[in-house]
Amino acid sequence: MSTVPSELAVETEPKGVLPTGSAPTPARRVITTLRKSPAVVVSVCIIVFIVLLAVFAPVLSAITGWGPYDYDPSAIDSDLGGIPIGPLGGISAEHWLGVEPGNGRDILVRVAYGARVSLMIAVSATLITTTFGVIMGMIAGFFGGLADQVISRVMDFLMAFPSLIFMIALLSALPAGNRPALLVLVLSIFGWPYTARVIRGQTMSLRNSEFVEAARASGARPLKIAFREVLPNLRGTIIVLATLAVPSYIGTEAGLSFLGVGVMPPTPSWGQMISTAVGWYAVDPMFFLIPGTFLFLTVFSFTVLGDNLRRVLDAGDAAS
Amino acid sequence: MTLTILRRVLAAVGVLLLISLFTFLIFFWLSPDPAVQICGKTCTPERIDQIRTQLGLNLPFWEQYWQFLSGIFTGRTYGEGAAAIDCAAPCLGFSFQTNESVTDMIVARMPVSVTLAIGAALLWLLAGIGGGLLSAVKQGTGWDRGVMMTALAGISLPNYFVALLLQYLLVVQLRWLPFPQSVTFAEDPLLWFQSYLMPWLVLAFGYAAMYSRIVRTNVIDTLGQNFMRTARAKGLDGPIVLRRHALRPSLTPVVTLFGMDFAGLLGGALITETVFGLNGVGKLTADSIAKNDQPVIMGVTLLAAALVVVANMLVDVAYTYLDPRVRVKSA
Amino acid sequence: MKKRTAFLGLAIATSLALVGCTASNTGSGSSGGVSGEPVEGGTLHVLQNTDFSHLDPAQGFDGGVNNFYRLIYRTLTTQGVGEGAKGTEIVPDLATDTGTPNEDATEWTFTLQDDIFFEDGTPITSADVKFGVERSLDPSISIGSPYAKIVLDMPEDYQGYYISGPLDTIETPDEKTIVFHLNQPYADFAAVVGQAPFTPFPADGDVTTTSIDQQPIASGPYRVTEYQRGSTLVLERNEYWDAATDDVRTAAPDSFEWTFGLDAATIDERMIADQGADQDAIAGSVQAASISRIQTPAIQERTIQGLQGCTTYMPLNTTKPGMDDPLVRQAINLAVDKQAVKDGTGGSQLADIATTMMPPTVAGFAEFDLYPSEDSKGDPEAAKALLAEAGYPDGFEFTLDIRNNPKMQAQAEAIQQALAKADITVDFNLIDSATFYEVIGTTSQQHDAAITGWCPDWASGATFLPPIFEGTQIFEKGNSNVAQLNDPAVNQRMTEIRAMTDVDEANAAWGALDEQIMELAPAVPLLFEKAVMVVGSNIAGAYAHAGFSGGIDYVSVGLASTD
Repeated sequence: MSTVPSELAVETEPKGVLPTGSAPTPARRVITTLRKSPAVVVSVCIIVFIVLLAVFAPVLSAITGWGPYDYDPSAIDSDLGGIPIGPLGGISAEHWLGVEPGNGRDILVRVAYGARVSLMIAVSATLITTTFGVIMGMIAGFFGGLADQVISRVMDFLMAFPSLIFMIALLSALPAGNRPALLVLVLSIFGWPYTARVIRGQTMSLRNSEFVEAARASGARPLKIAFREVLPNLRGTIIVLATLAVPSYIGTEAGLSFLGVGVMPPTPSWGQMISTAVGWYAVDPMFFLIPGTFLFLTVFSFTVLGDNLRRVLDAGDAAS
Repeated sequence: MTLTILRRVLAAVGVLLLISLFTFLIFFWLSPDPAVQICGKTCTPERIDQIRTQLGLNLPFWEQYWQFLSGIFTGRTYGEGAAAIDCAAPCLGFSFQTNESVTDMIVARMPVSVTLAIGAALLWLLAGIGGGLLSAVKQGTGWDRGVMMTALAGISLPNYFVALLLQYLLVVQLRWLPFPQSVTFAEDPLLWFQSYLMPWLVLAFGYAAMYSRIVRTNVIDTLGQNFMRTARAKGLDGPIVLRRHALRPSLTPVVTLFGMDFAGLLGGALITETVFGLNGVGKLTADSIAKNDQPVIMGVTLLAAALVVVANMLVDVAYTYLDPRVRVKSA
Repeated sequence: MKKRTAFLGLAIATSLALVGCTASNTGSGSSGGVSGEPVEGGTLHVLQNTDFSHLDPAQGFDGGVNNFYRLIYRTLTTQGVGEGAKGTEIVPDLATDTGTPNEDATEWTFTLQDDIFFEDGTPITSADVKFGVERSLDPSISIGSPYAKIVLDMPEDYQGYYISGPLDTIETPDEKTIVFHLNQPYADFAAVVGQAPFTPFPADGDVTTTSIDQQPIASGPYRVTEYQRGSTLVLERNEYWDAATDDVRTAAPDSFEWTFGLDAATIDERMIADQGADQDAIAGSVQAASISRIQTPAIQERTIQGLQGCTTYMPLNTTKPGMDDPLVRQAINLAVDKQAVKDGTGGSQLADIATTMMPPTVAGFAEFDLYPSEDSKGDPEAAKALLAEAGYPDGFEFTLDIRNNPKMQAQAEAIQQALAKADITVDFNLIDSATFYEVIGTTSQQHDAAITGWCPDWASGATFLPPIFEGTQIFEKGNSNVAQLNDPAVNQRMTEIRAMTDVDEANAAWGALDEQIMELAPAVPLLFEKAVMVVGSNIAGAYAHAGFSGGIDYVSVGLASTD
């Protein structure tokens, strides 16, 4: 259950970013502060690299001359079970990160295409859960009463579900179809409560602050108050939640693909590559180390960024 | 107080019922016809019909759900006459693929999952709380950074990756440990310990990472609160201050989390058990999903949900004792 | 002086005697390595990934479980022992010979041996054999080998002993004689009575449709003493089994112990490591990844290899548009890169390329290749030409049903890759393992093609070609003729061959029919998969049996020494 910890971590650290009711920290100050931390700089560089890798995967494929589904029988030894020829899993001038055993597919190209799939799914799921979570959280926190009761009960219910088991069972029962879309849907269904919880908590505290009271006293309608006064103050929290959600979804998707219910072959996915690599780790450890390392670096970088964003936004708001 | 507790219990039961309904619904709609699966290669439409009647699959949805639900409390019988199969209470279902009651299958594998959960829990509580405390107290120093870096790695590394890495290093390359086998402590204590060591470490690593981060945040916050400043102004020493005043409020959120996480593990650590080949409830779940053994999947899902819901409820109740503010609020 | 010398002499004599004792204790080992003679005694361990499907012989129907049944059950006849054809030959077991037919082979008589008993000491009589068959026909359990149903003469609505009572067409004139009446001439009936559903069970006991699966009643050298599904299975000796009545089984170990639920890669690691009790263990075929690690001489010494005796192939649904055109099917045959499929399966040690439907282990096998290409890598150009001729100059697209397991996926991807070069697009329909056979066996659910395998029930073309290519064997559900081939000439020829009374003539005819069928290209033969098994260093008498999907023959294997 590699991702549930991260999701829960977001949830039970209820102090997302402290809302104090004053103007939110200007973006420029955030960036300058962040730039000073070497960890953040490195993380951002890694993220940018992975994104570029994903975006330009077809270009990479053209450069190396290998598509993600192209076989290369000359790179594997048929008499030895299909093991890659050469050390380090077949790293050579032809194949910069080696080949997959059994078929000789180029690992670098597959990792690049896998990045596409993973990032696309994670970002989509993040967009959906953040939007929906913010809306639901604000409604519950702002209006209270029945709306709050209903939404909170729904959230409790969804969070009590043994989500991993259910996701696996659901995905394995459904026909192949459009796997990535299905994954985004399933991830979103179980993911939004975590965002909503935090937003709800913060909205509730903001509800009682002076500027909201003032707005209400001046006769503004609730919806307007919500968008004009409350939402901007949640900006920091939303950014942090979103940034921390991405790695959590990348990890969950990888986990599901690892178990064979996520992205289906031959579409490459990091989790799936690791899953195939399990059988080979004793003789070709590079096959599982490479996608594993990419996965780790991506999740790590996003988490470092999210952590630091929270720190800076917290400090910034508290200071002013 | 009793009213609160009663309300919590009722809410928990309600959630459980809903979960059971949803699970049943989903599998009712999505699962392929189990009768055809059981029928095998040489099948006829009459035979399929016969199996369907025996399994009660021709009944309307609500009747099937009711049979399932009541079976949990009173047991149920599948089919009639010579071919009747008795499923003793609590009947969580009957697997026709393996000819066993789901409850029996789960009970047989519980010890492994429980051993995993307890061992890992001890390790991660120690490491998580200890690490978090250390980081908080030594905030900003090398210790802090070191622990937090490790924690970050812990939550960024997928646990199946860590499992494989550990197995590759310790078993294949260094040969320090043998391959994990499902032995009981009574059969072979040494092998038992060697078999569980790696799964414990893998599980604990992930959870400890998360816990240390939370504990650190909470302790730092608590230490910065007004009442702490008062305690220090009164002249109270560091460790005493820490223990008496900071620990309790920082750790109560951890209690909530621990309750849920531990209960979740009791329901089976799916990935870890599969990677290490340990015959626990998690592996049972993974195998049943691969074989599409619908009754088992439903039974395990319900059990896992029940454990978490019960744990949540217990923790909620415990919270009212631990945190006086909650008591006041709900009064 | 005398005393000391005497004492010394005594000391030396004693120590020599001690050494002599130990030496003789260790002298119980055998020579000849893994293929040598096993010694009597000890516990043989078996490491397995999945459990046996059923302990009831009426229900189990795969190579692994059939191999297992021989340990606890005996039938009138059985397969032989030894590699290759010696293993697939039909020899007498409970019967005195392989049966006496009447003139047109519609009536068969068998005589039982003396001194054959069940595990509780009651003698096995012809009534028990009759009962065993009758109970196996109950529709709730008759999911195993179907030959009793197909070949025995019985009322149309006969539903087994429990529902329809005894079957009069099986006669038992006395305790030692049993006569079967068939509904057609069947020269190979001796092989039919060797099938698992013909296992005898006590006719006057409390045997029900479910009792055997939970607690078997053994007629063979071992009986089940402990069974925890998905976990362990223990067999111990059946003291009433008399080795003098059994020319087939060596039954050397005192007990067998299975451990189920082990991950395949873990099994490989343990067999390679050969530690502790694993030295007394055997397992199934290794994974492709382990092949490169077992090349050292020490491990090669304890590695067994053999053909599984089955064919992995891709049937093409001849009822679907496009696939109903033989030219299209022939084009697909030409385009497939079998070398890539072989590599995906694990390379040359784990598979041979198949150009015929029948595997080489079946009697009557004839070698031919109607759709050749260089190195069997496929000929996309020739395929494109055929497609153009068939009216698809811009290519063709179809959906392939594949099972959700890594090996089959790798095979499917290899096919997809190769066909893409011939402008044929292959879409996958991934089906989970549990429901795969249900889907491809249901004519209304299957798609244009599938990847599957077929093993003969015994080494004759009669159990190979008809189930997968005969027109009358197309069923709405549980269909094995996935290609849905219904060619009148082929159907007629099959009926003709079945009527032949000369077994050799029939076998040769099956071989020729194989080629005739392949001209219509209803399927693409892909591979003859092989089993590569690493056994513990203390194993003897192990070999791959061609009749049990290349598994190690349980009744012949044992330990090399019992220390």
